Amino acid sequence: MSLALVKKRETELSLSEVVEKYPDVPRLIALKIDAQRRGVHYTERALKTVDDTVQMRSPYLFGSRDGEIKPLPESILLRDGTSILTDPTPLEQNPYLVDLVDGRLALVDGDETVEFIELWPKPLYYDKQTSSGIPMSHIVSARPQRLNIFQSSYCHFWADKKECRFCDIVNHTKQQKNELGVPSRLKPQDVSETIREALKEPGRFTGMCLTAGSVLKGEQIFDHEVDFYIETLQAIGENFTTKKFPSQLISSAFNEKQLARLYEQTGLMSYTSDLEVLGEKLFNWICPGKAESVGYQEWKQRLIRAVDIFGRGNVGTGLVGGVELAQPSGFTNEQDALASTLEEAESLAAHGVTTVYIVWVPRPGSYFRDQQNPSLEYFVQLARGLHNLRVKYGLGVDFDDYRHCGNHPDTDLSRLI
Amino acid sequence: MAALLNKEIRDLLADPASVKVLATVDEAGLPHVVVRQSLQVGDDGNLLYTELLESSRTNKNLVRSIWYDKQVSIAIQGPQGQSYQIRGVPVKTHITGPLFQKHYTEVRRKLGDVDLAAVWIIEPLEVINENFAVRKAEEEKNHPFLKHLDRLAQH
Repeated sequence: MSLALVKKRETELSLSEVVEKYPDVPRLIALKIDAQRRGVHYTERALKTVDDTVQMRSPYLFGSRDGEIKPLPESILLRDGTSILTDPTPLEQNPYLVDLVDGRLALVDGDETVEFIELWPKPLYYDKQTSSGIPMSHIVSARPQRLNIFQSSYCHFWADKKECRFCDIVNHTKQQKNELGVPSRLKPQDVSETIREALKEPGRFTGMCLTAGSVLKGEQIFDHEVDFYIETLQAIGENFTTKKFPSQLISSAFNEKQLARLYEQTGLMSYTSDLEVLGEKLFNWICPGKAESVGYQEWKQRLIRAVDIFGRGNVGTGLVGGVELAQPSGFTNEQDALASTLEEAESLAAHGVTTVYIVWVPRPGSYFRDQQNPSLEYFVQLARGLHNLRVKYGLGVDFDDYRHCGNHPDTDLSRLI
Repeated sequence: MAALLNKEIRDLLADPASVKVLATVDEAGLPHVVVRQSLQVGDDGNLLYTELLESSRTNKNLVRSIWYDKQVSIAIQGPQGQSYQIRGVPVKTHITGPLFQKHYTEVRRKLGDVDLAAVWIIEPLEVINENFAVRKAEEEKNHPFLKHLDRLAQH
């Protein structure tokens, strides 16, 4: 860990101090945030307990903290059912250890056994292949209760070097293709077959999420992206008895006509389009491709108009939480960053759009690879702030909660709503 | 520390003729009480509760309990009037894995097209014998003032 990072971490509140200061955020959720923020490192004796019932790391949109693809457990579960999606992290970055303590796996920090954990169970379809010979785990990856369909891992903003500054999707795509043979674009037939197989396991899944990089082509911008999602969703829909099925799409900012097509022609039930960072100036800097193609204000308006189509409680925007503090152009003070972010989030909530966040982890394949993420205290405050907005505006978030995603500390709190 | 559930209590929990009630509290401390025949003893000696509805008040209260170490209470009444209260604390929520899937299949076999939100594990901390005869004898022994005089009068 660099000297600057050591000094920064020393001035921050510890996990126990944050828990004491913010008693309305449960310790287990604060721990989840910290484990995501710092990452984990599996000890050798912990890894010796891993058998073939455990889900190992699946293809994913984004790369890991150490820039490697290794056969390690996908992620961890806490005793309250909370998922922690987190990356294997080099020891010099001071991650939590996943170690064996009294015969059980635990998160360990220094000398302290912080919490006992379990590993995600592997779904049965992971051992199968599609009729075209592709491992089903390469087509659809799993979380404890969600199916992930990352139908294309190329983002066209990268073509003009206008990718979002925190993102490593294209670099990671190349790495996955080279090292694992993961297809960079999925065929709807393969997706449909895999979903059909996944549904055979009773009680395993409550929802699915489709996402991919942006595709700019079409008579109107994003038309081809919409076409591809419709094709894939229709193929998936063949497996259900109902027209609509619990599903989330995280995509570019579609216009009303595109959204209406998606809603009417598929079983999709919710829509998310990530602003990534709230505030136009930062959006323009951090997401230059999104800024140039649609623009911040129009992106927000498209989200608001989506509420008329998908309904209140079914439209959201995601943030890479903490990226608003990236330097040199981000906030230099966590309180200012928090206030600004929550003010913007409230303007969206007032129009029925919910805001969620993931913990920003600077990735080696991204433009922001040398940045530092903020303090645990910041992320805890952000979680309670976004949760409190949902309470204030009566916004449900079933489609993106602890089961249907599991990667948003703020929506974990919605279990109480 | 965990309390041991003796054979009588285990048998009562397993008896379909027993009535089982689960009491939880919300953030304001208001109790919420439901009859839940699905309460049972798990293989590890802890109580096991299958919650069918993610959105139920009981489920939300159980989440609050596991997050903030709040206790819950289970009352059991047997067919011959046996009565016990078990105070406990939720220690684990299964939302995936073999135990969850086993109970998911079982509830659907028994009840038809229902869902299973979670399998809760509740560690018993104290067992209180609420049998009236036992409680009456305790009171008469420990609180001799607590009776009406006419019960003692010469007639």
